[in-house]
Amino acid sequence: MVDKTANAPKKSAEWNKGKLQRWIFLAVAIIPPFGGYLLFTLFPNILSVYYSLLDWDGFTDPKFVGLHNFVTAINDKYVWRALGHNLIYMLTVPLLVIVISLLLGYLISNKGYKENQFLKVLFFFPNVLSTVVIALLWAFIYDGSYGLLNGLLSLVGIDMEGFYWLGDEGTALAATIPAWVWGGVGLYVIIFSNAMLAIPKPLYEAAILEGAGHMTRLFKITMPLVMPIVKVAALFLIVGTLKSFENILILTNGGPFGSTDVIGLYMFNLAFGAEYRNFGYASAIGMILFVILVTAKLLTDRFMPNRDVEF
Amino acid sequence: MKEKHTGMDVVWRVLLYIWALTIIFPLAWVVYESLKTNQDFFQDIWALPQTLHWENYRDAWQEYGFGRSLLNTLYYVGGSLVVGLFFTTINAYALTRMEFKGRKVIWSLIMLSLFLPGVNALVPQYVVMRELDLTNSLTGLILLASLGESVFYLMLLGGFMSSLPKELEESATMDGATLFQRFWKVIVPLSTPGIVTVAVFKFLGFYNNFMAPFIYLSDTNKYPIAVQMYSANKQMEFTADWVTLFAGVTISMIPCIIIYILFQKMLMEGATMGAVKG
Repeated sequence: MVDKTANAPKKSAEWNKGKLQRWIFLAVAIIPPFGGYLLFTLFPNILSVYYSLLDWDGFTDPKFVGLHNFVTAINDKYVWRALGHNLIYMLTVPLLVIVISLLLGYLISNKGYKENQFLKVLFFFPNVLSTVVIALLWAFIYDGSYGLLNGLLSLVGIDMEGFYWLGDEGTALAATIPAWVWGGVGLYVIIFSNAMLAIPKPLYEAAILEGAGHMTRLFKITMPLVMPIVKVAALFLIVGTLKSFENILILTNGGPFGSTDVIGLYMFNLAFGAEYRNFGYASAIGMILFVILVTAKLLTDRFMPNRDVEF
Repeated sequence: MKEKHTGMDVVWRVLLYIWALTIIFPLAWVVYESLKTNQDFFQDIWALPQTLHWENYRDAWQEYGFGRSLLNTLYYVGGSLVVGLFFTTINAYALTRMEFKGRKVIWSLIMLSLFLPGVNALVPQYVVMRELDLTNSLTGLILLASLGESVFYLMLLGGFMSSLPKELEESATMDGATLFQRFWKVIVPLSTPGIVTVAVFKFLGFYNNFMAPFIYLSDTNKYPIAVQMYSANKQMEFTADWVTLFAGVTISMIPCIIIYILFQKMLMEGATMGAVKG
């Protein structure tokens, strides 16, 4: 792609004018967005390496402490507790999202129910809601006295006596999982059902002629052909569950007694929490998370079927 | 595929309807509870309202300062949308349709962002914003939101723009149009579908954004609606004024619902593309 403005100069004055215009245009088109990217994204990423070596509350003079923060992190039981919760989320949320989305996606794309188009639109809807709204909806569901869940249970004769699901150390973590899954399923239903619809019909017709039943077709044709996309989705979801903490911040802020704390949230509260601020230590934990995430991301790219991002 | 419906179809349909219910019911419940009084709500969380108490919406509007946070939202979302859309579009044009020195370097640095999770940069980004005196300011948030690169938007718009025939621009050049005129009069109108998609995604992203306003705004009077709802919920823990909160949540969902009704197809296509490739 070659820009041809300056290619056929008639007079040199006109040529210079064209060249100047080109420069101004490029300056307007490149400098603000790319400059903003350098300043607000790339530079902070580099800076975070330096910050992780400081003892700094963000206000007084920083003190260089070398790798001390990392030693502290390794010995910090809260770091391990949070990582343990991350592991639980990582093992449950992606799996549940994928299983539910595959099932719903399959039903929507392969069963010719007349309401399927409507359901597809409905299933995607939670994707346009904010994390705040989703978290509040689930807080309403889990409320002890007036929550929907306890209300439902009492309809079938189980009295939970105002048990607050998000307020109990034993149940809070498990209760946040459905909220997370609920918000994630819609997108993958669409992705999987589109992938299934893209499978050429003759494949199925040939299989039917050969006498293949429903299950054979599902496991010999549909599943193998959508598997690459399922793999990508799984790795995306794993990276996502490792780094997100916004939903947990709103729903429980890691409580009660840290029973839903995740590593991103722990870092966030060290830096911006109400009690105290430790930018240096928070950055060190950010770096640890960075290493974990980049490793996961590199794995993602290894498994990517074909990454056709090319310019 | 035409297949005859069997007994299993009942099971499948029930499964589909159960998932549909988990979406419809909580939302509908919030909306109809928002029209009851607190006493009615405390008495029976299932019953439909006897009379419709629209005054809850007035209360929510006043109690949660919706008027003010709506203005904040309009300024923050509107500003970020206008400024961000302009720069995203012109940037995509320059990066996909123009040849210049350093283009390759810029592209590879932008591609690097796919590997940056961003979480570790929250603290230094805060310090950068503070040094530039952009914290606790909606204008600062607009700058943060609209100056930057996004592979997703570049792909979306770049894909559109690189498919436009070169001759269009050439004939405009023959007519004596400058580069700016060509961009504005030829490229922008022809890329409108792509630009609208980007605008819809940007709108939802800014409107629903919680983290940036929450980190950067210390003055609660500057809160946009999403953060305002978060603090309204915190407030409700002390006042136990449920129905007003329900009304507030309902109000805050309206823009998303309207956008969804208008642009659902576009949103689904864009989101699947973003998730699979970006």
